[in-house]
Amino acid sequence: MPRSLLNLSPRLRPVFFCAYLATQLALLVRAQSSPDLVFGFQMFNASSQLKISLFRKVRRHGRSRLIAVREGMWQTKDGAGMRHTHRWQDRIRDGHLGTLDQFVHAAYGLDAQLFRLQFALRDVVQHLAGDEETEALIAEVDTLKNGREAGHLRLKAERP
Amino acid sequence: MSGLAEGFRRFFGEERDAWVLGLLRLAISALLFFNGLRLILELSRGGYFADYFHIPLIPEEWLPGRSVYALLLGVQALASLLAFSGVWSREALLTASSLGLYFMLCDRLQYHNNRYALLLLGFLLAFMPCDRAFLLVRGRAHALPREERIAPTFARRLFQLQVSLIYLGSTAGKLLDTDWRSGQVLFMRYAHAPEFCAQHGFALPAWLALILTSAWFASLAAKAAIASELFIALGIWLPRARRLALWVGVIFHISIELTANVELFSWLMVAAYLAFVVPELRERRFEFAPDNPPAAVLARLVSLFDWCARFEPTELSKTSAHGAAFYVTNREGRRASGALGLAQLAEALPLFFPLWLPLSLYAKLNAKSRAAAVNSV
Repeated sequence: MPRSLLNLSPRLRPVFFCAYLATQLALLVRAQSSPDLVFGFQMFNASSQLKISLFRKVRRHGRSRLIAVREGMWQTKDGAGMRHTHRWQDRIRDGHLGTLDQFVHAAYGLDAQLFRLQFALRDVVQHLAGDEETEALIAEVDTLKNGREAGHLRLKAERP
Repeated sequence: MSGLAEGFRRFFGEERDAWVLGLLRLAISALLFFNGLRLILELSRGGYFADYFHIPLIPEEWLPGRSVYALLLGVQALASLLAFSGVWSREALLTASSLGLYFMLCDRLQYHNNRYALLLLGFLLAFMPCDRAFLLVRGRAHALPREERIAPTFARRLFQLQVSLIYLGSTAGKLLDTDWRSGQVLFMRYAHAPEFCAQHGFALPAWLALILTSAWFASLAAKAAIASELFIALGIWLPRARRLALWVGVIFHISIELTANVELFSWLMVAAYLAFVVPELRERRFEFAPDNPPAAVLARLVSLFDWCARFEPTELSKTSAHGAAFYVTNREGRRASGALGLAQLAEALPLFFPLWLPLSLYAKLNAKSRAAAVNSV
């Protein structure tokens, strides 16, 4: 008979059984309060959509202004006068969050994508080497919840 | 010993034939391999995930470096192949699934329910005696003798519970969502179907487009989907409903596979149904007349596709055939030929299982109309 460490002894079997089941149930319950329902077995997507429009908050001549980011790209000059090109998609490879200025499917629902978008803004703003102008990134988001216009909201990530 | 203690001992001490678990191992390890292959392709085409935006569920310091990640992906692929071929199968399954779970914790963006379900089922399978049959490295003698295949299968119950939890989680999510309950979610999806078909050079008939874009149809479909999932989740625990629940599940997943992009989910769930197959082998009989060409073809099909070793094939002697080319005796001892016999065959052959209900219904209707004809004479 094949021997394996994975042949649990009769004493260990109930412990393993209960520990596994308790963990799964806890994860399932916890998932219901998680925006992206992670570990929740929410198998089928909703039909919601979102459109992300990206803006940079920059300070010029002592005043803060909002500048729209066109086609996910902007250029800046550093202190030495070197020109740098920054692209949203350089860091955001995700197909849903990486698409700007057009409606895309909100996989796992709007809450999941908005939750991830906040992280994405924070990530990009932390990786702006050579951009000394941008103080914050702002996403203006239009949402369609299962075909109905749900609204508009603004997410912001300040530069650390 | 009290009844409860006896039940407890029986539950955790249950020992059954592990043949079908070997088949389950083949399916799950193949899916694990393809899941790992996707990560390898993503690494080679898109780069190392941690060089871009990612959301770790574990501390950033616990993430593997690029080269370690590449190495671990290789280990995962190798482990899946070992599990598939039958070399250290259980340890390999545990390695492949645990690595997959670790990768998922490294980046929340990688999380997809179907991938998570696959990794959990792979993990649980490692605790089952799935290394006693379908050992491909052993060639034709791929299974251990029966007495060595009988082994503790308590983890099979956990695997079954996990399958139920997947459906229950999915059902609960839909029930709690007003738009899902009302059919609005499906309405939005179906509404694009005519446009989608037209873009792919196939125009839907007007009547079908009208049905697909109607709110009542979407509402009905949503309720049917929720009811189906709930029925599968609970029905698989009721011996009298299990067969029907599994059939509904197979049809449900075939329809999902045809209409939505759910990665490996449909394949995974259909494979997972093998855990609900009665472990004992050759409890049914298939008798056939070897000199009858259609019966001989049927016998060949049975020997090719009886992956779960359900049937004991026997040649009918000329005197016992009574005109029928074949007979199928099911586990309850019902001996049948014709459409009912075919239904009893389809019931136990995984590849033909979707035909079981239509054939059974046809056989019943046929029998009723024959009885009516006899009565009228």
